[in-house]
Amino acid sequence: MDLFEMLGFGEQGWGSAVLLATLLTVALTLCGLLVGSVFGALVAAAKLSPRRSLRVIGECYSTLFRGVPELLVIYLFYFGGSTLITAIGQWFGADGFIATPPFLVGALAVGMISGSYQAEVYRGAYLAVSRGELEAARSIGMPTLMLARRILMPQILRLSLPGLGNVWQMSLKDSALISVTGLAELMRTTQIAAGSTRQYFVFYVVGGLLYLVLTALSNQAFGRAEARMGRSQRRNFVNP
Amino acid sequence: MIDLDFLLDTLGKLLAAVPTTLGLFFLSLLCGGMLSLLVVAMRVSPYPALSWFARGYVLVFRGSPLMIQLFLIYYGLGQFEFVRESPLWWVLRSPYACAVLTLALCTAGYTAEILRGGLLAVPHGQIEAGLAVGMSRWTLVRRVIAPIALRQCLPAYSTEAVLLVKSTALASLVTVWDVTGVAQQIIQRTYRTMEVFICAAAIYLVLNFLLVRAVALLEHRLSPHLRARPSHVPTQTKTV
Amino acid sequence: MTTMPPPITLTTTGIHKSFGSHHVLKGISLDARKGDVISILGASGSGKSTYLRCINLLETPDQGSISLDGESIQMRQRKDGRMEPANRAQVERVRSQLAMVFQSFNLWSHMTVLQNLIEGPMRVQKRPRAECVEEAEQLLQRVGLFERRDYYPAHLSGGQQQRVAIARALAMRPQVMLFDEPTSALDPELVGEVLKVMRTLAEEGRTMLVVTHEMGFARNVANRVVFMHQGVIDVEGAPADVFGAQGSERFRQFISSHQERAAA
Repeated sequence: MDLFEMLGFGEQGWGSAVLLATLLTVALTLCGLLVGSVFGALVAAAKLSPRRSLRVIGECYSTLFRGVPELLVIYLFYFGGSTLITAIGQWFGADGFIATPPFLVGALAVGMISGSYQAEVYRGAYLAVSRGELEAARSIGMPTLMLARRILMPQILRLSLPGLGNVWQMSLKDSALISVTGLAELMRTTQIAAGSTRQYFVFYVVGGLLYLVLTALSNQAFGRAEARMGRSQRRNFVNP
Repeated sequence: MIDLDFLLDTLGKLLAAVPTTLGLFFLSLLCGGMLSLLVVAMRVSPYPALSWFARGYVLVFRGSPLMIQLFLIYYGLGQFEFVRESPLWWVLRSPYACAVLTLALCTAGYTAEILRGGLLAVPHGQIEAGLAVGMSRWTLVRRVIAPIALRQCLPAYSTEAVLLVKSTALASLVTVWDVTGVAQQIIQRTYRTMEVFICAAAIYLVLNFLLVRAVALLEHRLSPHLRARPSHVPTQTKTV
Repeated sequence: MTTMPPPITLTTTGIHKSFGSHHVLKGISLDARKGDVISILGASGSGKSTYLRCINLLETPDQGSISLDGESIQMRQRKDGRMEPANRAQVERVRSQLAMVFQSFNLWSHMTVLQNLIEGPMRVQKRPRAECVEEAEQLLQRVGLFERRDYYPAHLSGGQQQRVAIARALAMRPQVMLFDEPTSALDPELVGEVLKVMRTLAEEGRTMLVVTHEMGFARNVANRVVFMHQGVIDVEGAPADVFGAQGSERFRQFISSHQERAAA
């Protein structure tokens, strides 16, 4: 079987499987990022809180998920989750071993890890919002909720974009680690294809290239979003 | 509820694997560090061929997951006859060496960008002052540019070093028995995920803590010029 | 009894410089004799800083020649038509005999005051360390900053940093000193201490080229005034002449607009 057949979309070809896997990777990362935004917002709020206990909790979360290898976190959720669900299952009378759905594990793991980095992004963005703008809103009697919605949030969103771009890129790469759970995302599919055809080099190069394509497209997308969001800001005369 | 014997036994097994993790870390730190100097030199060189190669290098190693880079080098290269017969084979067939190689190549990409950021941050005026006094290019780099750039890099580099520690965990995927590898093995045999996770996570957190403190100490030593001014003026006056 | 005029130390002939399509210097020729204190005046954009920076080749002139003590800097044309110095080692040597004091001081931030002073003499002029340190300490005494020799630049005020920068320039034992708007970045109350040091140097007989806005220095300390306008020398001569009857109309306009600003 020659190269084109192997990579192609025919019956023996891996092309379609690989492309589907790419979509799954994107979906996985997206879900992870959404989960992470919830955790990130909570942790950022905790770290900014005047209450010491909340700040400590926030610090612990950050330290844990930024300091422990992602692989260990994935093992925790996958094997630990399986143990938990199996136990619950046995409680209900079910027999045997129940594994945690890999996509769920993946989204949760990527989510909680990216959450710790997103927390830093949100915290930085919050601190960077100009106090003067908030004062101006308060001084005309704007209620706090409206102030948060109309003034604070849009600014935080704009200031977070560059950081979020980095977190997205990081999470895309972390998603490759979910392959250890067996989920047929891009890394795992590449691995299977490579092993099945014994063409390790070709498939790992193809897989790598696909990740690079995803990275490049992400860069473009975030760049455009940043430009649109930042159109109200004064530009430097020199293009970065 | 917590089985202390098991915990201590696990801790013992994991601690025995720490030298492997540390070995991976220090070897890839050193090799990657040296390689990054080469890459950044190419990146800022006036020759377009070198500069674009360096750009491509950074793009590839920062845009694709470490896991796929590792598998490409370990499985992919080993596929070829000519590689197996080459003198490099004694290196490339060892999983440990492949892991170090991949980690070094990867960290070189990230570090090169950090170094480049440091170079860009050297105040242009101080470079001009060096030129105006007649310094040769090499003296200028050695006495003005490099010292200032390196000091600028240290905070960002401490983050990169922590990421490198976490990345060593991936070596477990190619049969290297580092802390994560041993942890995974214990989990798969005993399914006591939580206890093992706690031990392994604690070890990594301690390693990261020590690393961050070490870099902070280095930063402190190298930057008396950024600290508060001395509170006293030396009283001895020399007569002309 | 006629005294021989001092020898010409620095010669610049026909200096042209463009940045893109903007022709900044349109043929500047100037000679500096030993002991001359030349004050270069002009509005922003007249090219005075660019000219000064061409002398020690921080900017490369497109046309023209520069000689220090009879030695002319060799230039050659690049493939893309632009000029560049032909001999790097010569440029470094000539630079080590000139010294520049910058508007933004440009002290090396990771070195102490003393280290800043001995860096050039030790590493570029290859003089022994002990000699460099001794001379540096003497220079610091002269500018009044000996007590702060172990301080870092960040811990000094602007005026102190500039005085250190002047000492650093003196440490190179230069033939000619180039001052690029040395007081423009200083708070008004710190300008005086720097001008005082510069005056002392002038009275000692140092050869100095000073680009400055300080009219007092030009009038009272300099022995020659050069007024640049849009890239050419409009008028030059002794201060009494230029500020007096021999001065051009443009120069008078320039001074009066300066005085208006000062008065306002």
